[in-house]
Amino acid sequence: QVSVINTVDTSHEDMIHDAQMDYYGTRLATCSSDRSVKIFDVRNGGQILIADLRGHEGPVWQVAWAHPMYGNILASCSYDRKVIIWKEENGTWEKTYEYTGHDSSVNSVCWAPHDYGLILACGSSDGAISLLSYTGDGQWEVKKISNAHTIGCNAVSWAPAVVPGSLIEQPSGQKPNYIKRFASGGCDNLVKIWKEDDGQWKEEQKLEAHSDWVRDVAWAPSIGLPTSTIASCSQDGRVFIWTCDDASGNSWSPKLLHKFNDVVWHVSWSITANILAVSGGDNKVTLWKESVDGLWACISDVNKGQGGVSAVTEGQQNEQ
Amino acid sequence: MDESDTEPPLVVVPGADPSARQLCFAWGPAEVLVCETLFGRAGGSRSRAAAAARALTRSVAGTGEGAPSSSRVFVVRRDQDIYIQTLRKLFNESHGIFMGLQRSEEELAGKSRKAQLVQVSKNYRSVIRACMEDMHQAAVSTRDPALQGQYSTQVSILSAMELIWNLCEILFVEAAAAGPLLLRLLDWVRLHVCDVDSMVREVLSSESPSKHKLFWNVVDVFVLQGRMDEARHLLSKEASANPTSMNMYKILDDLMKKMPVPSLGNTQTLTELELKWQHWHEECQRYLQDGTFASNPHMESICKILLGDEDAILEKKELMTTWYHFLVTRLLYSHPTVKPLELRFYAQSSMDLFLGGESSPEPLDMILMAAFEFEMHQVIKECSIVLSNWWFVAHLTDLLDHCKILQSHNLYFGSNMREFLLLEYASGLFSHHSLWQLGVDYFDHCPEYGRVYLELHIERIPLSTEQKALKVLRICEQRQMHEQVRSICKIMAMKALRNNRLGSALSWSIRAKDAAFATLISDRFLKDYCERGCFSDLDLIDNLGPSMLLSDRLTFLGKYREFHRLYGEKRFPEAARLLLTLMTAHIAPCSFWMTLLTDALPLLEQKEVIFSAEQTYELMRCLEDLTAGNPDKQKFQDDDVETTKVEMLRLALARNLARVIIKEGTVEGS
Repeated sequence: QVSVINTVDTSHEDMIHDAQMDYYGTRLATCSSDRSVKIFDVRNGGQILIADLRGHEGPVWQVAWAHPMYGNILASCSYDRKVIIWKEENGTWEKTYEYTGHDSSVNSVCWAPHDYGLILACGSSDGAISLLSYTGDGQWEVKKISNAHTIGCNAVSWAPAVVPGSLIEQPSGQKPNYIKRFASGGCDNLVKIWKEDDGQWKEEQKLEAHSDWVRDVAWAPSIGLPTSTIASCSQDGRVFIWTCDDASGNSWSPKLLHKFNDVVWHVSWSITANILAVSGGDNKVTLWKESVDGLWACISDVNKGQGGVSAVTEGQQNEQ
Repeated sequence: MDESDTEPPLVVVPGADPSARQLCFAWGPAEVLVCETLFGRAGGSRSRAAAAARALTRSVAGTGEGAPSSSRVFVVRRDQDIYIQTLRKLFNESHGIFMGLQRSEEELAGKSRKAQLVQVSKNYRSVIRACMEDMHQAAVSTRDPALQGQYSTQVSILSAMELIWNLCEILFVEAAAAGPLLLRLLDWVRLHVCDVDSMVREVLSSESPSKHKLFWNVVDVFVLQGRMDEARHLLSKEASANPTSMNMYKILDDLMKKMPVPSLGNTQTLTELELKWQHWHEECQRYLQDGTFASNPHMESICKILLGDEDAILEKKELMTTWYHFLVTRLLYSHPTVKPLELRFYAQSSMDLFLGGESSPEPLDMILMAAFEFEMHQVIKECSIVLSNWWFVAHLTDLLDHCKILQSHNLYFGSNMREFLLLEYASGLFSHHSLWQLGVDYFDHCPEYGRVYLELHIERIPLSTEQKALKVLRICEQRQMHEQVRSICKIMAMKALRNNRLGSALSWSIRAKDAAFATLISDRFLKDYCERGCFSDLDLIDNLGPSMLLSDRLTFLGKYREFHRLYGEKRFPEAARLLLTLMTAHIAPCSFWMTLLTDALPLLEQKEVIFSAEQTYELMRCLEDLTAGNPDKQKFQDDDVETTKVEMLRLALARNLARVIIKEGTVEGS
């Protein structure tokens, strides 16, 4: 049911921790314990190494592509406590900014919706979350949320940009008043929602349901519904789907997607938010198409409308 | 969430390392990324620190911990039919039919509307058949056995699709009533049970058909399919070859001729038909019981078939090949006036009798059964599961929806099954480099979520060429998707800037109404001018028009160019005025004043006095403002070139002032 259309041999000398496609699926960025970040051109089934970026002094945990309107920009975060922002200038990739304000491993980076400008959220094992905003002319402004999560922050994920009130066309040049929000997950077993208020970031919500470290959070893209949805996964093997029905963001209710037998490390939503991918400690990735509460229509009643649509695994014989 | 009863299907990524590693996953716009990794440590260590420490010690020690970890990333894509070249026609042409259907007027009511919808259904089916034909040709002409296998599989899939669609057309779109229903079903069977065609051809084309060993098989086939005339024709050959059975033949022939069948022309009511049929049936019965055909087992069996004897019909299993053929034959000979809602009982029992517990029903059988049971939702559901594309269910459901027979299923958020399927189908199209354009139209006809899905997908189309970007832009502009328009223009502007195509970057940022970017690019233009002494992309700057007002810097750029133009046309007073305005109205940035003043030099040096006294005073004031207010006085003074320039300007201004005072003070004529 699937084909491998390309196998990219990254030649990383150690474990790969993250691989991300750019916006259009034309480039692939990978990062590894070998401290390097590599970028490949993968158009038409090819694999051309465009850049081998060195600058980190420890395993690199995540990479994130910025929106193409800002140019070709990639962020990476590492055990070496650094966040590096790389940019392609005149055909070559270079370090354009390095942030060293964290005291411990930086575990996760996530770019904000392009409507807000060029803003990067970074979560670190020192418990803090930093927000790097590009102010122009090569300058970055830093805002830090200290003690966002006790012991450490493992993941950050931005909410989609939604203009409050009616979506009237703003006169050109005027920036609409966005309410910026993002979610974070930490070693305090909590998922937190942060909101920018008057230039300051404040903790808006505390979502409690996990009994162990939260490893990843993912805010689902918006398809115009007034509801917001967040997926979180944890060391406790559980994946929760949090939904908030009202626009003011006050009442979030969790729904257990599944309890796995092992740590769940990553969750991510497809572009139109209709499929959730879950990577677990067992050598599988499961894809979920939710239909609880009739939220998502499920035609393929394979599992009575709930549960996994397909699982991706390696090496084992097809059990069917 | 309830636990699922059945395991979700396991998809194996070919080529992945079978050792117990974990899989890292990322969504691409169309494909997904899968790579082997190890989160934390296999033993369950939770800290990143431990994993990092291991990595560091490993690199320091220089030895690997067991086998080197895999460094491969797999780009995985769901096997979608949109990537099959030969199906391209299917997608393109069905798109046309779909659009036609959406636009078709609903003012036609009743029969005409139904006829219109049936025509649409037939059009879809003919597209499927055309595709089958192409695929078949491809299969026959290729030498590669793998490809041939692929094509052949496709042909069977298309054939199954057409089979199902045809049945749905009869039962749901046309909603054939008792009477015509049977005739339609007969047509359906004749069209789709082709396994016997070659045998038929062989017998008919032989020298003496009645002597052919398969002769009776062919007669049986005709009888089973209700092709009475053809059966009788063949039988007549047999009769003339065997005069002894002439009597039997005549009776059988007569029975076959007289068999009452439903007619399309409404010339008789169902009751009339049933009555006639009853009489005929009894007559057949009498002949059979009298032993009329006793001496010819073939003819006897035919008579039994005419009487609807299940066992007799079932004996001819291999000639029918499918249970639904058996079903229709049964109906023909036992209940020709079957009503649509009665079909389900006959269907179930037919399948049971035919398969006889030897084999279990296949997915196709289940789909057809669901259709016979008029469970439309079930049909769609099963098809969705079995087929590897959304094409079929999306278009079929859309058609059924137009027939107004799909009850709205309780899909909570207001959307319905039709829209759901169309969204899935169209989303799939977007991963294709050219079929995405079809997807746009499908999204347009999804009232609930079409727009937002389009917004999300259209942003991901790689803008590899200017034409493509313009195409995407046009689509967005037509639909007032302003955010997307701005976003695309910004992306193109950024791209152009990176490739040093300033003119292109400027026009894109104007289109994006991006003042900040326009300022940036204008600065680049001006910098270029300062370095090279000339402008690039003159055409663009000359024709800015009102878009000049987008940003101050851009306005300056435009006006500055105008100054040069005026100078070139020797319209010196106008040029002079403009130059001055640029500084006094603060259109020019301070950093540029020196350049402007230097540009004024030739005007000051002209034989004819150009600047008026007042203007000269203004210029002087500007110069003083510039030199006095300059914090970099040190630099100014140290830089010889700069000091010389200032000196020259002061001199020129003074000289001009002198001349102009005289000129203005002179009374005309004296």
